[in-house]
Amino acid sequence: MATTELRTEEMLLNVGPQHPSTHGVLRLVVKVDGEIIREATLVIGYLHRGTEKLAEDLQYTQIIPYTDRLDYLAAMINNHAIVNAVEQAMDLQVPERAEYLRVIVAELNRIASHLLFLGAYLLDLGAMSPFLYAFQERETITQMFNEISGARLTYNYMRVGGVKWDAPPGWIDKVRAYIPHFREKLKMYHNLVTGNEVFLGRVKGIGAYSQEKALGYGLSGINLRSTGFKWDIRRNKPYSIYDRFDFDIPVGKNGDCYDRYICHMMEMEESLKIVEKAVEQIQDGPVMGKAPKILRVPAGEYYASVEGAKGELGIYIVSDGKDKPYRFKLRRPSFINLQILPELMEGQNVANMIAILGAVDIVLGEVDA
Amino acid sequence: MTEANENKQTTTADTEAAPVEAADKPAAPVKTAAAKPAAAAKPPVEESPETIAKRAEAQKRLDEMKAILEDKFGEGALEETGLQKFQPTLVIKPEYWLPVVTYLAHDESLTFNYPECFAGTDYPAKGFIEVALYLYSMSNGRFITVKVRTPRDNAEVDSLCSVFEGANWEEREIYDLLGVNFKGHPNLVRIMMDDDYKGHPLRKDFSVWEQQ
Amino acid sequence: MWNNVLHWVDQPFTSATYLGMLLGGVLTLAITLGAVTYTIYGERKIIGWMQGRVGPNRVGPFGLMQSIADILKLLIKEDIVPAKADKALFMIAPIITYVPAFAVLAVIPYTFHHYFTARLNIGVLYYIALSSISIIGIVLGGWASNNKYAIIGGLRSAAQMISYEIPLALSMLGVVLLSGSLDITRIIEVQQQNGLWNVFPQILGFIVFLIAATAELARAPFDLPEAESELVSGYFTEYSGFRFAFYMLSEYVYLIAMAGLAAALFLGGWTGPFGLGWGWFWYAIKSFLFIFLMFWLRATMPRARVDQLMGFAWKYLIPLAILNLLISAVEKLYWLKG
Repeated sequence: MATTELRTEEMLLNVGPQHPSTHGVLRLVVKVDGEIIREATLVIGYLHRGTEKLAEDLQYTQIIPYTDRLDYLAAMINNHAIVNAVEQAMDLQVPERAEYLRVIVAELNRIASHLLFLGAYLLDLGAMSPFLYAFQERETITQMFNEISGARLTYNYMRVGGVKWDAPPGWIDKVRAYIPHFREKLKMYHNLVTGNEVFLGRVKGIGAYSQEKALGYGLSGINLRSTGFKWDIRRNKPYSIYDRFDFDIPVGKNGDCYDRYICHMMEMEESLKIVEKAVEQIQDGPVMGKAPKILRVPAGEYYASVEGAKGELGIYIVSDGKDKPYRFKLRRPSFINLQILPELMEGQNVANMIAILGAVDIVLGEVDA
Repeated sequence: MTEANENKQTTTADTEAAPVEAADKPAAPVKTAAAKPAAAAKPPVEESPETIAKRAEAQKRLDEMKAILEDKFGEGALEETGLQKFQPTLVIKPEYWLPVVTYLAHDESLTFNYPECFAGTDYPAKGFIEVALYLYSMSNGRFITVKVRTPRDNAEVDSLCSVFEGANWEEREIYDLLGVNFKGHPNLVRIMMDDDYKGHPLRKDFSVWEQQ
Repeated sequence: MWNNVLHWVDQPFTSATYLGMLLGGVLTLAITLGAVTYTIYGERKIIGWMQGRVGPNRVGPFGLMQSIADILKLLIKEDIVPAKADKALFMIAPIITYVPAFAVLAVIPYTFHHYFTARLNIGVLYYIALSSISIIGIVLGGWASNNKYAIIGGLRSAAQMISYEIPLALSMLGVVLLSGSLDITRIIEVQQQNGLWNVFPQILGFIVFLIAATAELARAPFDLPEAESELVSGYFTEYSGFRFAFYMLSEYVYLIAMAGLAAALFLGGWTGPFGLGWGWFWYAIKSFLFIFLMFWLRATMPRARVDQLMGFAWKYLIPLAILNLLISAVEKLYWLKG
């Protein structure tokens, strides 16, 4: 007797570019068999603005606002990346106070970025409240940035040789007062989220990869550290004044979504420690060093990187000695981290797809540049 | 400061093994190894002892790497070597590109297992496109830059996807923006621009107006 | 005459009792719609407070007219049917979901006097049977939309609701066993006689009921069918206007009905403390406690994963419900002889 077989079809599901949880305009073309993903293809470039090409026609100072638009959640760190790269290339000295201000705003920005990760990730997993709690705290940081730089998102705050503005009176005290307040909030987030059974069930053991894989893909930041690999540009290739601060580099163990989440949470604590030390040590003084009005990077090639909120944010400059870069290449951590996604998604179901995508923590502005 | 800086610029320009071409042409990206100590010796640039020490150490590492690679692949594998500030840089002949990088990544004593930065640059004045790869060795903390040059017309380089999975998108980006074909790449299609886009925006002779 | 109209449940079928039935239906519908409107408002407001926001506060005083404005907007919106949808099914699906949602209200005894509701002697069975019909509407809606997200959402709903109907029914069985009746009014009366709410002897059953009810209502943390971050809106992705309103309404009507059921089966229905009157008042409070719990959960929990959800129902809830049934039998034998 002939048995009738159940006819099943693979379905091509087009997730995005307009979809609630692709964090911008990422497009995923997934082949699903029921709810199981057989193959995932990523399509990017919807937000490509040609920053690298634009930079070739701009003076170095003029590029700084463009970096704001890369990882727009951590624009201060992007600013830091480019000014750091140009300063290292030109061997410029930066005044102490400017360095401290840079570190304070960069670390606060890292906290803000991680807060957004926390909120958006939990929203991806279906919990609405952490998103709003996280945004409340982020709002305070945004306000502080507004006071120091005049903008809430695209700060354009740092300059080659220092920072644009000194902190307004009382600003440092505000930061100081914010630290214990935020410590309390962090405890609250842990209470609300970290021990939640449903949450743990969603993230533990999901989207795990090995250290070798992470290195081969060139992953950086938390995506690399979640596998247990201690690699942080702030420690391994110290720039600015990070060698003066004592902080831990939280690492995970299994490289799964849970480790990535917990690394984000712990990094916020470490960033707080750095900010705490920095506001203690900061002294009065000038905030802008002696830098030439028109910056001319000596001819040659330079690569300098900083620890961005998402990973190693590197700037590769080829200069022909003029005031504009000959080639300006950005090593965008989100772009590189995103590559591992199709491999992680294979064999997972649609719900895990979102959990994995969210945990990689990308910003499409940075992916597409 | 400004003055010192200008001085420094003139010195670097002097010491570069710059090909004599049009004035606005980019300076040679790779300074020859011999030129750099000479720059250090010139009086107007005030270089601290640390800088000199750092450079000497970088030079030592470069010589080491050079010796290793020449020992393994013969003299012909390297086109040029030099220092980029403190970064040892080796320009590799195209036909040796894949084997050299594979060797660097997989050899147990070297283990340059982390591709840090992958960049392509167009040099129309010199007639080639250069692909630079910054490698980092996580186990022994060493870093080098390897480069490969390919003519601008029919630019072609071996793909590194078999060595680093992460090279996939980087190579697609370079293909998209600079028009370098990566032989053996599993899926060499445009990544940033539209699929039916013509031209490669990061090439220096690219013009938006010609696209219409 | 008025006696016939008001007490139509116990009277022979005449035009007066028919009038009473009709009045009861219309009034229940009106009251429920009002309750739904303010349940939605309450949900937004309460979750808003929990999240440090103010919630709706623009339309009317304290935003009291917000839901009414929303419903009005939905009703006057264009009724869009996607070009490639199965037109007939697409149009009829919300109604299939909506009608049983209102039909189950007939057996929820808001007060001891059945002015508006039917006193069915198989009330519990009626509820379970009718509420399963809604699933068909949801699956059809997902299927007829001809949208991949909708079909995944629809099928998830079907799987989830069918799986959770079993522990839900099993958890109610314990109560039925203790009361010896399927009549919801009788179940309340037995609780009144014993002076003991079923929640105490049936604590395990109550827990199973709460979890299964949350899943059955597809509310957080079991709101997979309409998991926004994955499936955009699940089965009603393609719906807009008043058809969308129908889905929305039936969801909230079910919430209210389930709250009423919980209050009746486990919390002693209209009985208040110290024999105080105002049955409907106590009933409303108890129902609201259940509804509030749903809101609270929604503000707290992330969403479970689809495979975990199924596993949870079959591996934990059903065995627990059966265990509860066993315990109920023992209790019935030695404790609550009824």
